[in-house]
Amino acid sequence: MNDLLKRSLVASAVLHALLLGWALVKLGAPEDFDMANSESLPVEFVPITDITQIQQGDKEAPVKEKAAPVPTKRPDTVQNAENVGDNDVDLKSAPKPIEKPSKTEAAAAPKQTEKPVPTPDEKSNDVKEVAKEETDVADPTPKPEPKPEEAKPVEKPAEKPPEEAKPEEPKPEEQAMPENVPVPAPKPKVEKPKQPEKKPEETKTAEAKAESKASDKKKAETKQDKAKSQATQKSDFNADEIADLLNKTDSQGGGAKRSSGEKAFGGKKTTGGEKLSQSELDGLRGQITDKWTYTAGLEGAEEVVIEVRFSLDESGNVVGDIEATATGGPPSTQQALLSAAKRAIRKATPFQGLPPEKYDTWKDVIASFTVADLGG
Amino acid sequence: METIELAAAHTDVSLWALFMQAGFIVKLVMIGLLGASVWTWAIVIDKYINYGRARRQFDQFEQVFWSGQSLEELYRSLSERPTGGLAAMFVAAMREWKKSFERGARSPIGLQMRIDRAMDVTLARESEQLEARLSSLATIGSAAPFVGLFGTVVGIMTSFQAIAGSKSTNLAVVAPGIAEALLATAIGLVAAIPAVIAYNKFSGDAGKLTARMEGFADEFSAILSRQIDEKLQPRAAAQ
Repeated sequence: MNDLLKRSLVASAVLHALLLGWALVKLGAPEDFDMANSESLPVEFVPITDITQIQQGDKEAPVKEKAAPVPTKRPDTVQNAENVGDNDVDLKSAPKPIEKPSKTEAAAAPKQTEKPVPTPDEKSNDVKEVAKEETDVADPTPKPEPKPEEAKPVEKPAEKPPEEAKPEEPKPEEQAMPENVPVPAPKPKVEKPKQPEKKPEETKTAEAKAESKASDKKKAETKQDKAKSQATQKSDFNADEIADLLNKTDSQGGGAKRSSGEKAFGGKKTTGGEKLSQSELDGLRGQITDKWTYTAGLEGAEEVVIEVRFSLDESGNVVGDIEATATGGPPSTQQALLSAAKRAIRKATPFQGLPPEKYDTWKDVIASFTVADLGG
Repeated sequence: METIELAAAHTDVSLWALFMQAGFIVKLVMIGLLGASVWTWAIVIDKYINYGRARRQFDQFEQVFWSGQSLEELYRSLSERPTGGLAAMFVAAMREWKKSFERGARSPIGLQMRIDRAMDVTLARESEQLEARLSSLATIGSAAPFVGLFGTVVGIMTSFQAIAGSKSTNLAVVAPGIAEALLATAIGLVAAIPAVIAYNKFSGDAGKLTARMEGFADEFSAILSRQIDEKLQPRAAAQ
C-alpha cells in the first residue's frame, strides 16, 4: 500500500512537472493586445452656438447645409487673408462683380462721379435734422439752395480757383456747402482768425470740413478735389461698410481670401455670439401674442398658420410694411387673422428686450403663429 | 495628436515571470498549492489503482467462494496470504472458527459472536484502508480555493501598496501585480477542482466496496452459523 502510494506520488509529481513545463513553454506570455489599429481621434468640444451662428456666405444664395461665399476665380492664395475675394490685398469690403481687382491698396485716385441733384437734398435734410435746433437760432436761413450761390461769389474772389475747376464746382459745393450753413462766407476767407472760434463747424458733421479747410490753406485746387472726393464717397455712404471709406481704392475685388465650392446662404462674415437666444426669440413672439386680440369662433381658425415678416430699426420699431401671409383654413378666417396679426405687431412696437449688440440678427423678423400660440 | 504611450516598458508576463515577480507570501502559497495538487493527484492515482484492484479481487474471491469449493480448502489456499478485503474477512472468520472448534467450543452462540467480531474488526480495518487519505482530498478540495484567494488578496494588497508608492494608476503599472496575484487563485482552483471531483468519486467507490464487504460478512456469518448448528447439534445430541 505505502509502496503504491509512493509510486503514485512520484507519478503525480512527474505529471505535474510535465504539465508545468508544457505550460511554461506553450502558454508563456499571452500575446499583447494589438493597439496598432486603434487610431486616437482628437475630440473637441464645441459649443452649439459656434455652429448655429452666422457663417460666412452669400446673402442672396439659397440656404444650404453649410454656408459658403461666392466662389472666387483666382487659384493663388494670399496668406492670412480673412475676407473673401479675388483681390491681391485683403480688403474688408465684399467683392463686387464689376471691375477688375486692384493691384494696390491705397494708390489709385478716387473716381469722380457726377452726382445727381436729388441726393444732396436728402443729405442736407438729414444733417439738418440733427443740427437744426442748435443752429436755427444763430442762423435763420436753413435753406441750402441759396447758400451755394452765396458761397460761390465769395470763394471766387478770395481764392481764385482756375477756370477748369469751375464747371465741376457746383456739384461738390452743393453737397459740401449745405453743411456749411451757419458759416457761409467768412470761412475760406479769414482762416487764421477763424481757427480759435471753431464752434459753428463743430456742431456740424465737420470731418470733411476740417480736411477741406486744411487744404484751403495751401491751394484752392486741392481743396476742390478733396471736397469732391468727400462728396462722392459720402454719396454711397454705408455705415456697415465704413471701412471702405478709409480705403481710397475701389473695393470691387473684395478681400484676398479665396473660396471654392458653391455659394450658399450666409452672412458677410462669420460672426460669433450673435444669435438670439431662445428666450429672446420667445420674448419677441410673446410681445406680439400679448397684443393679439383673438376673436374666438372663427371657422377653421386652428388650421391657419400666419407667417409675418417685418424689419425693425435699432430701437425696436417696425420699418416699412408688415408682410403677412396665411396658409390653411378658410379665406375669410385667414383675412381676419392676418389683419389681427398686423394690428398686434403695430401695437407691440417698439419691441422691448432685444439686445442691441445682436441687431443684425433681429433687424429682419420672420415669425409664424398659429391659433394655439394665442391661447385660443 | 500624439498618442500616449500606454506601456512604458514591456513587462514579461509569462507564467514563470509572474511567479518570480510575486512576493514571498504569494510564492509560498503558490508552492504550497502546487504541492497540494501533486498530493491530490498522487492519491487519485493510488486510489484509482487500489479500488480497481480491490474490485477485481472481490470478484475473483466471490467467484471462488461460490464455486462450491469446500471452505476448508479455500481457507488453506488463502490463509498464507489473503488477497483483498473479502479474503481477509474470510480468513479471519475461518481462523476464529478453527480455533474455537478445534478446542471444542461449548456454546454455539459464543462462537457465532466471536466470528462476527473477528469479521467486524477485519471489515473495519479494510474499509479504513480503502478510505485512507480520502479525507485529505476533501480538505484540499475545500481549502485550496481559500488558500489561493489568500495569496491573491495578499498579492493585490502589495500591488496597491506599490501603486500608492509609484503614484501612477496606469493600467500597465497595475496589471502585472494583479495578474501575478490572480495566479495564486488559479493554482488554488487547479488543485481544488480535481480534489473535489476525486473525493466524491472515491468516497462513493469506497462506500460501495464497504457495503459489498458488509454483505459478504453477513452472508458468511449466516453460513458459519448454519455450520455451527450442524456440527454442534450432533455433539449435543450425543451427550
